[in-house]
Amino acid sequence: MKLTEKPKSQRTTLAAGRKELQEIVETCEAISERKFNPFFMDVKFGVETLRQYFPHWETFKDHCLDAHTINRLSEVVRLQNTQLKFQSSALYADPDFVKRKVERMSEKRLAEVFLQSWHPITELEQLTNSTVSDALDYWNLLTPIADRWKKRESSRGKDPGTADSETLTGLGIHGKEFGKQLTELWNELRQLYGDRKVPIDYWSFVKGATYNETVQRAYYVSFLVTYGYAKLQPEGEQLTLTPTDQPSEKAVSGAVSFPIPIPRES
Amino acid sequence: METAETKSFYSDKLKRAMHLLLFRRGKMPGAREWELKEKVGKNYQQVLDQLNQLLSELDLEIKKVNEPRSEEMGSDAGHASLEEARYLVALKGTLGLKEAKMIGWRIDNLAGLSASISYLVSKQGKAPREEIEKLLAHKFGRWKAVTLADIFLRTGYLEEDDAGVMSLGWRTRSEIDLRALMTKMAEAKV
Repeated sequence: MKLTEKPKSQRTTLAAGRKELQEIVETCEAISERKFNPFFMDVKFGVETLRQYFPHWETFKDHCLDAHTINRLSEVVRLQNTQLKFQSSALYADPDFVKRKVERMSEKRLAEVFLQSWHPITELEQLTNSTVSDALDYWNLLTPIADRWKKRESSRGKDPGTADSETLTGLGIHGKEFGKQLTELWNELRQLYGDRKVPIDYWSFVKGATYNETVQRAYYVSFLVTYGYAKLQPEGEQLTLTPTDQPSEKAVSGAVSFPIPIPRES
Repeated sequence: METAETKSFYSDKLKRAMHLLLFRRGKMPGAREWELKEKVGKNYQQVLDQLNQLLSELDLEIKKVNEPRSEEMGSDAGHASLEEARYLVALKGTLGLKEAKMIGWRIDNLAGLSASISYLVSKQGKAPREEIEKLLAHKFGRWKAVTLADIFLRTGYLEEDDAGVMSLGWRTRSEIDLRALMTKMAEAKV
C-alpha cells in the first residue's frame, strides 16, 4: 500500500489533487494511531505532491487542506525520528518477535517474567482523627431508618390512577381534538415563518396568555418536533423553530431527548 | 555528636515525609514534589535520601516518577518538568509467584499484563486496543481478553485515548522496570 507515483495526466485535475492530499492525511493519521510503521510513508513524495498542487489551489479550504497535510507530514517525520531513537535504545524489540514469543510462552512463564521486573508500590489507606470525628457527627445526626421511611411515606403524593380516553380527549391530549390542536399550531408556525424564512424564536412562539397555556403549547410543539413537523435548533443561547415542508410523520430515528424547563415567569 | 544532631533534626521530617509517601490522599498514591517541598522543607531531598536508607533494610525504596513523554520511551525521560515529579514507595526486590497470588493476583492476569506491556513497549508504547485484545485472545479467549484489557485500564497499568489507542499507564511507569522486562522476555525459554 506504499504511496507510489501516479501518471501526470491524473494529477492535473484539482479534484485529483484534493483526493491525493486527503489520502496522505489519512495515511499520516493511521500512522499516528500506530496502525502502520512511520516509515510506511514516503515523506519526500508527500512534500513533492504538496509542491506540485500548491499553485493550483483556489479556495481557502484548499489552502487549509494543504496546511493540514504539512502538519500531518511533520508529525510523521517526528514519529520517524522517535522510531530511530527507539530502535537504538535498549528497549527495542521487534513487535512480531514479541507477539510470537507471547503466543508460545506458557501463562506461568509469562507471569514469572513479569514478576522479575515488577516492583509494586506500597500505600496505606487510613483513618484520621478528623475523618473519624466527621463520621461520628454524621452517625449521631442520622435518624433511624424506620423514621426516614415514615417521612418518605408521608411526603408521597397521590397514587397514580387511570384515565379513560374521554378524559384525555377532554384535556386535549388525545383524539381528534389533539390532532386538530397540532395542525392549528403547525399552521400558525408556518404562517409566522411565511415568506421571510427566518427561524422563529421558541419562547416567543410557545408563550401563551397564562402559564397553563404556555405549558400546553410547549407540549404540542414537542410533538411537532418529534414527528418531523418542525425543527428545533439551538443558536447560541437561543432556541429556534423552523417548520418543515414535508414532515415524515414518523418519530425521527436516533433522536435525542431535549428537556426544556418552563419557568413560572415565562 | 554531629551525627546525633543531624539525626534528631531529621527525625520529625522523616516521619512527615513517610506519612506523605505512604498514606493516600488523592486518586494516586505517593507525594508530589511540591508537596514534599512545602511540608518537609527545601532540603526534602536529603530527608528522602535518609528515608531511603531506612527503607532499603525493609526491601523498599523511594521512587521518583516523572510524567512521561510517551513518544520518547527510548530516550531518557529525565527532562520532564520538576512539578510533574511524583515520589512513591515501592518494593525494592521482586515478588515470587506464590506471594503475588497471596496479594490477590491471578496468574492469568499477570501473564496478560506481561504480554500487553511487552507488546506495547515493542510498539513504542502505543498500539490500537484491537491489537492488544487480539494478542490476549490468542491465549485467553475473546471474552477474557476484553475483561483483562478493562482490568488493566482500571488499575492504571494501561491507558486508552478517545481514538482507542492504548498506551502504558502511570502504574506501569511507576512499578515496572521495562528494560528488565524486555530483556527477560527476550531471554525467556519457550
